[in-house]
Amino acid sequence: MAEQLVKLTIDGKAVEAARGTNLIEAAKSAGIEVPHYCYHPKLAVVGNCRMCLVDAGTPKLGADKKPETGPDGKPIIMFAPKLSIGCNTTVAEGMVVHTRSPKVIKAREGVMEFLLINHPLDCPICDQAGECRLQEFSVDYGKGQSRFIEEKIHKPKRTAIGPKITLDDERCILCSRCVRFMRDVAGQDCLGFVNRGSYSTLTCYPGMEPNTNYDLNIVDICPVGALTQTDFRFQQRVWFLKETKSVCPNCATGCNTVLWSREGVVYRQTPRDNDAVNQCWMCDYGRLHYKFISDPQRIISPSVKSKVLGERFSLTWQEATRQIAEKLKTIKPLAAIGSGRATTEELFLFNKLVREVLGVELVDVVPHAGEGDQFLLHADRNPNTAGAKLTGITGDPVGARIPVIAEAIKAGKIKALIVLGENVAKHGISEDLLAKLDLLVVIDTLPSKVTELAHYVLPGATFAEKRGTFINGKNRLQRLNAAIPSPGIARPEWQTLVALLNELGADGSYLTMEDVFADMTRKLAPLSGLNLSKIGDQGVELKLGEGSGKGEERTETGELAKV
Amino acid sequence: MSLAVPQELEQHIDEIITHYPPQHKRAAVLWLLHLLQEQFGQLGKEQVEWTASKLGLQPINVWELVSFYPMFTAKPRGKFHIKVCRTLSCELCGCGGILERLQKKLGVGLDENTADGFFTISTAECLAACGTGPVMMINDELFENLTPDKAEAIVDRIKTTGKLDAQPLPPVLPAHPLEKRVLLGNMSKPGYSGSIDDYIREGGYRALPKALGMKPDDIVAEVKNSEIRGRGGAGFPCGMKWSFLAKNTGKPTYLICNADESEPGTFKDRQLIHYDPHQLIEGILISCYATGAKVAYIYIRGEMPAGAKILLKAIEEARAKGYVGNGVEIYVHRGAGAYICGEETGLIESLEGKRAYPRIKPPFPAVVGLFGCPTVVNNVETLSNVPHIINNGAAWFKAMGVPGSTGTRLVCVSGPVKRPGYYEFEMGKLTMRQLIEDLCGGLKDARKLKGVIPGGSSMPVLKADQIDVPLDFESLRKAGTMAGSGGIVVLDDSVDIVGATLNVAQFYAHESCGQCTPCREGTLWMEKLLHRITHGHGRPEDVDLLWDVADNIDGKTICPLGEAAAWPVKAFVTKYRSEFEAACKNGNGSKHG
Repeated sequence: MAEQLVKLTIDGKAVEAARGTNLIEAAKSAGIEVPHYCYHPKLAVVGNCRMCLVDAGTPKLGADKKPETGPDGKPIIMFAPKLSIGCNTTVAEGMVVHTRSPKVIKAREGVMEFLLINHPLDCPICDQAGECRLQEFSVDYGKGQSRFIEEKIHKPKRTAIGPKITLDDERCILCSRCVRFMRDVAGQDCLGFVNRGSYSTLTCYPGMEPNTNYDLNIVDICPVGALTQTDFRFQQRVWFLKETKSVCPNCATGCNTVLWSREGVVYRQTPRDNDAVNQCWMCDYGRLHYKFISDPQRIISPSVKSKVLGERFSLTWQEATRQIAEKLKTIKPLAAIGSGRATTEELFLFNKLVREVLGVELVDVVPHAGEGDQFLLHADRNPNTAGAKLTGITGDPVGARIPVIAEAIKAGKIKALIVLGENVAKHGISEDLLAKLDLLVVIDTLPSKVTELAHYVLPGATFAEKRGTFINGKNRLQRLNAAIPSPGIARPEWQTLVALLNELGADGSYLTMEDVFADMTRKLAPLSGLNLSKIGDQGVELKLGEGSGKGEERTETGELAKV
Repeated sequence: MSLAVPQELEQHIDEIITHYPPQHKRAAVLWLLHLLQEQFGQLGKEQVEWTASKLGLQPINVWELVSFYPMFTAKPRGKFHIKVCRTLSCELCGCGGILERLQKKLGVGLDENTADGFFTISTAECLAACGTGPVMMINDELFENLTPDKAEAIVDRIKTTGKLDAQPLPPVLPAHPLEKRVLLGNMSKPGYSGSIDDYIREGGYRALPKALGMKPDDIVAEVKNSEIRGRGGAGFPCGMKWSFLAKNTGKPTYLICNADESEPGTFKDRQLIHYDPHQLIEGILISCYATGAKVAYIYIRGEMPAGAKILLKAIEEARAKGYVGNGVEIYVHRGAGAYICGEETGLIESLEGKRAYPRIKPPFPAVVGLFGCPTVVNNVETLSNVPHIINNGAAWFKAMGVPGSTGTRLVCVSGPVKRPGYYEFEMGKLTMRQLIEDLCGGLKDARKLKGVIPGGSSMPVLKADQIDVPLDFESLRKAGTMAGSGGIVVLDDSVDIVGATLNVAQFYAHESCGQCTPCREGTLWMEKLLHRITHGHGRPEDVDLLWDVADNIDGKTICPLGEAAAWPVKAFVTKYRSEFEAACKNGNGSKHG
């Protein structure tokens, strides 16, 4: 590897970078920002914005191909007559780069001024304000004033390009990031520029708007306010929003995300960089599927259905826990259905509760399968199937025991059922069967036929409201963080499960999520040595495969209980 | 498919598609659009979608082109499309009066159709016939040396007859004793028609067999030794360009002849193509052999339809004699009105069927060029020299001119001189003064010289006291300008420099492809600024502002169009500052306004 590294100097700092690295990335590694608009590390280099101009020179080589030295004993550097674009200039041995020389500063000021002369300067009514590269770079690298007094060019505004995206051509700086993304990444060559020169205009052919499952990524990569997400427009100023690092719960890919919230409401979900998972993209299906968080129908407190009155009454957590624990001790046999959407910690506790403490044999999770694609969308729509397998809640194939449970309820062999976050009425346990049960305990976030039939309903928390982990389809353990509080007195499921364990007298001295995780690392070999901090924002890859198979076997044979 | 394309036309289209590699049939798109527009009078939704489907493209890919290339139109135009050149040389000769007269006569504004659907009148950006300005084109015919009366008579005749008369090529200008005609040698002979028989009779197609008897590397060496520098504008040594071609890539090598002559003031390729096409074709064939190219494309400017026809005919003549098609194929590729296609990577993108966005370099075309293959792009004049170098040897060529500027140079003189036109002479052996005063006979109407643009309108102007400079690459560089494309525009003392600057700025703003920020935004800003100054709304600070806008473009862009737009403005402002100051003072404006 050593011979692959190139030594160069950027703004006087000694930098080492792999051969082939461009100057923007090399400078970034040294903590130096080279401003840019069109360059995007995941897209083809086009060099059109000219914002990343730097002054780059290489050592003058003598006849012996060795650098010539000047009177000061240092190599003589031959600077290119023109500035070079950082995005398309790669590092070279002995290269000297200036990113803040007077020549560079003037060039950037010039480019900044050019970018703004035909821009409407409508920040006060622009949704991009606060996360706009034009704003940021004009503060950092611009002159703070314009000398342009001519009439600006007018272009189409508020154009809907498909149902998801709104285009304002007057704000577009023609960097072509969106064009390249749609063509080269999303695979729909649908955006382009019409007209030319200053009149160049981003557009799509009438009737052929972006319609892939990845369209909204162009909103993320648009450095300005040209492309905005239609359903987010004018909802919030971004500087009021809190950013919480999270993971998309909508399939087994587990795209890393940021949840943007304010005062308990999530306003949008955007992808977060993770080269091991989703690079910097996410699919629209995942991105837009978060609005159930704010559903006004959310279950906000524990409740019990009165046998006598047939009505539902709210309970305190304490009372609900006490009553349920009581019933669980007496009404048997019991089955349990967990969820591949639950966190690993919840599944671990669920397993402990139902298998170890209550001795349940019939446990599984509901499989959710859909159509996958070649890019990010996984056919397994459960974000944590691997976690469900690791904790022993399910095996292969996922959900195989659900028909067995249904059959057992039908035969009267199962009298009680605990359901964690699944509308099982739609997934193999019909309403008739559910109605037969003597005890149905459901932990969920939204009402369904199942919660309607349940004797006890315990409110759960959505992925945005709790901490915990998912293990994605590639065995990567990733962390969720709580962005907002749950409504009412709803709380994360792990707390509910711990309460039930305590009530049932099990050794469940878990006070915090860290306690749960620590116990998990002791019981589940692939997690050995980990803690929540070590997982970090980028997650860690677990060695499951063989090991996990054994782990499952251990749980199947009840060995886990002995550990 | 709803569009009814006649079978014959579709067969023609299918044949044209075979001129390009099957996986790159998109490259045929400009041809298709030309043919469909000819057939249907417009490139609307149906034509765009038909083309996209034919070439396996998305409609947006085609729409991007229709709106980029000014020769294409989405809406129907009149049966006769009048395009009056508005660029510098024609303006100096009074094109404005023609435009005004015709608009008044036809009762329409620019780009509007007359009620009877007969005429549309537009302006054109340099039609590359600057020596015979003012000029206009009506459909494919070029009308030269116009006056408002002549233009009106032409339109009247079309109105009466309903027909457009084919325009003959003007006669070749006789050589001045100070000239040395090599490239213009054949065509200067009485009765020379440019046919293959005439060309062979005058010694043509003798260099080709000689070259075929040499090793390709020896031909490259010969061209290298001749020290011929590219005649397109940058003056890069041709042999060196050839030797940069990537070898053993497993990919084909392509040769492209850049015949997209569009730099205002330049009209030499027009002569070479119209009057002696085989000289060029022989040059291309030898160059293909030398570089290993099996296919050559001649990218000819869209506004030179006559040239395209002449080349197509000449290629067929050469095919009949076994020169073409015997290992080397030559195809004519028509542009559609974009100056930027003269930039070699813009040309390559355009040839590939895309918007002519110049590429960032590296990689250079010699490594990754047309269709991702090693490619050499040479100017018409450069390639036309090749048969002479092979016939007579590098030493003969080098003996002409001066060190660093070998051979002859073909220049084009336009503006208010007595004898505008093209001249060929040994480089460095003649000064600008001799050219203007002797060859061109001095200025018209006893006018005084104010300045000269020496190499196309993108090159910094020389003041009247700078014209003792010899005409070669080095001397002009030392004088702070460049030999460029050989387009020499003479400015006399009646010229309003601020107005002339506006004219030039307008050209580059119109031709900026819009890809990179400084050129896209800066060129139009300069035009607007100059427009305001000339119209009496200048402010004293505008002079420095104009210079600084140009400076912010200069050297910051992807391709040399940035410099092409910035250099003339910087030079005009620097050298004629008092005129700009006067125009800006108290909102005086200039004569132009």
